[in-house]
Amino acid sequence: MSTRSRTVTATVTIALLSIVALLPFYIMVVMGTYRNEDLFTKIVLFPGNYLVENFKTVAASRFDLAYWNSFIVSAVSTVLSVFVSALAGFAFAKYNFRHKSKIFGAVLLTMMIPGQLGLVAYVIEMRYLNLSDTLMPLILPWVANAFGVYWMTQFIRGAVPAEVIESARIDGCSDLGIFFRIVMAFIYPAVTTLSLLVFLWSWNNYLLPLIVINKPEMYTIPLGITTLGSAYRTDLAAQILGLSIGTLPVLVLFAIGSKSFIRGLTAGSVKG
Amino acid sequence: MMDAMKRRWVPYLFLSPYMLFYVAFGLIPILFSFYVSLTSWDGIGKKTFVGLDNYAFLFNPDSYFFTSVGNTLLFVAVSLPLQMAFGLAIAALLYSKFVKWKAFFQLVNFLPYIVTPVAVGLMFNLLFDWQAGFVNKLLLEFGLIEEGIYWLGEPLYARIVIVLMLFWKGFGYTMIFYLAGLANISKDLHEAAAVDGATGMKAFWTITLPLLRPVTTFVAITGIIGGFQLLEEPMLLLGGAGMGSASAVIGGPERCCLTTVWNMYDTAFGSTTRYGLGSAIAYGLCVIIAVFSFIGTKFYREES
Repeated sequence: MSTRSRTVTATVTIALLSIVALLPFYIMVVMGTYRNEDLFTKIVLFPGNYLVENFKTVAASRFDLAYWNSFIVSAVSTVLSVFVSALAGFAFAKYNFRHKSKIFGAVLLTMMIPGQLGLVAYVIEMRYLNLSDTLMPLILPWVANAFGVYWMTQFIRGAVPAEVIESARIDGCSDLGIFFRIVMAFIYPAVTTLSLLVFLWSWNNYLLPLIVINKPEMYTIPLGITTLGSAYRTDLAAQILGLSIGTLPVLVLFAIGSKSFIRGLTAGSVKG
Repeated sequence: MMDAMKRRWVPYLFLSPYMLFYVAFGLIPILFSFYVSLTSWDGIGKKTFVGLDNYAFLFNPDSYFFTSVGNTLLFVAVSLPLQMAFGLAIAALLYSKFVKWKAFFQLVNFLPYIVTPVAVGLMFNLLFDWQAGFVNKLLLEFGLIEEGIYWLGEPLYARIVIVLMLFWKGFGYTMIFYLAGLANISKDLHEAAAVDGATGMKAFWTITLPLLRPVTTFVAITGIIGGFQLLEEPMLLLGGAGMGSASAVIGGPERCCLTTVWNMYDTAFGSTTRYGLGSAIAYGLCVIIAVFSFIGTKFYREES
């Protein structure tokens, strides 16, 4: 076979295999463009003309509020998590102190513990602190993120030269000043990766909001998507459109940042 | 001198936000959950200390604990090998020098993994709806079936749909690990193999695949551990649109698809409010995950 025909064969093969990944998305988008009644009677393969009407139905359910809540939760979780992780990572990577390796080992160990272990008591704690039906319970667990500390420690160890820190110190820069002005400038790629991961994790979180949030005006996207069904039980088409709209922003975000996102996910699996 | 004294406190100061938040919202709930697991409590009334009764009850079939663990293992055992084989095939194709638009195809196949799990469950609920679902429509159109299959109402079919759903969601995840692994294999090896006459499929089976074994082990371990945390996808697949009806079908038909975390949620916050038992389920799950992690890490160390 010539190189050219091999290229065509391989590319066509992978395109066909990729249909497996794309088909459910396609059906979801197409179903959202039909009248509810049509979904039950005919097979829908190409986009219909009912998109605008369905969109009005979705908009009437205050889906925008769920969007806003999800955005606040994910954005605040991300900023706090990245900041706290970077600060701890700086300490582990560039300072010597007593019991350092023991403390670092303990942090790594907490990475292994499944998040559900303390769930029941966490919910009780949130009730006790009067934080039920606020967005706080959805943010607090992300602040101390063991993976983030691990990730930042590894990165700062490799990316920030000791000489730069030393010369800044000689120039009279404080430790906190070094962190903000020097370390932060060197770890931009690690910040991007960790931000994408935390944003996605908190955006997709369902179990915790399901338990601690009861007020519809506090719903996040995953909760909002599920309740579109009960508010418009008969309107399947509108619900499907809601699904598409709720899924789209993360897909776009990760399409843009997929490279650094994947780097974070595969960290540590392959030695390096 | 003063400076050095001051600096000794700096790393602890930098660690303190992490430690503070971990203790307050990670460690204390974990410890308190253990205490709750030793009691009988509905969250409002008085706690009654019951010792290890909740843990003993996990062995009672009425707790559905081992049923749910078995279900979860079944889903993982069937879907994970499929995910890995398909993910590896796509990774190998993407890595070959013959494929164009690599970044695009990599992204497309990875997208299912980042879709909100809730949306995945609902999507498959709609695809396999017996009336309006695309799958039944298609099968009817081609005359393969006489009337719509009740996919989500029969235990066997519901399990098949869950496996398909997990496969769809997960193969992109295995793909990116295999891609990372392939990128780590030195090109020289393949060139040396080509000189010895091993090319194409033969080189893949005899050289590439054995070298990817650490990746395979890693993906298998994380797949099993991640599988134990399964909740949203089956819950929304079988609870269907709107949570109102979910309580009627906990775990799907005959609880065939009840996962461990779903069982914990339902025990503590769903159809009952047995906080003690719910916490015991969480600790039981943690022990099972720890066992698998332990075995897995041993395997992984031996391989690499």
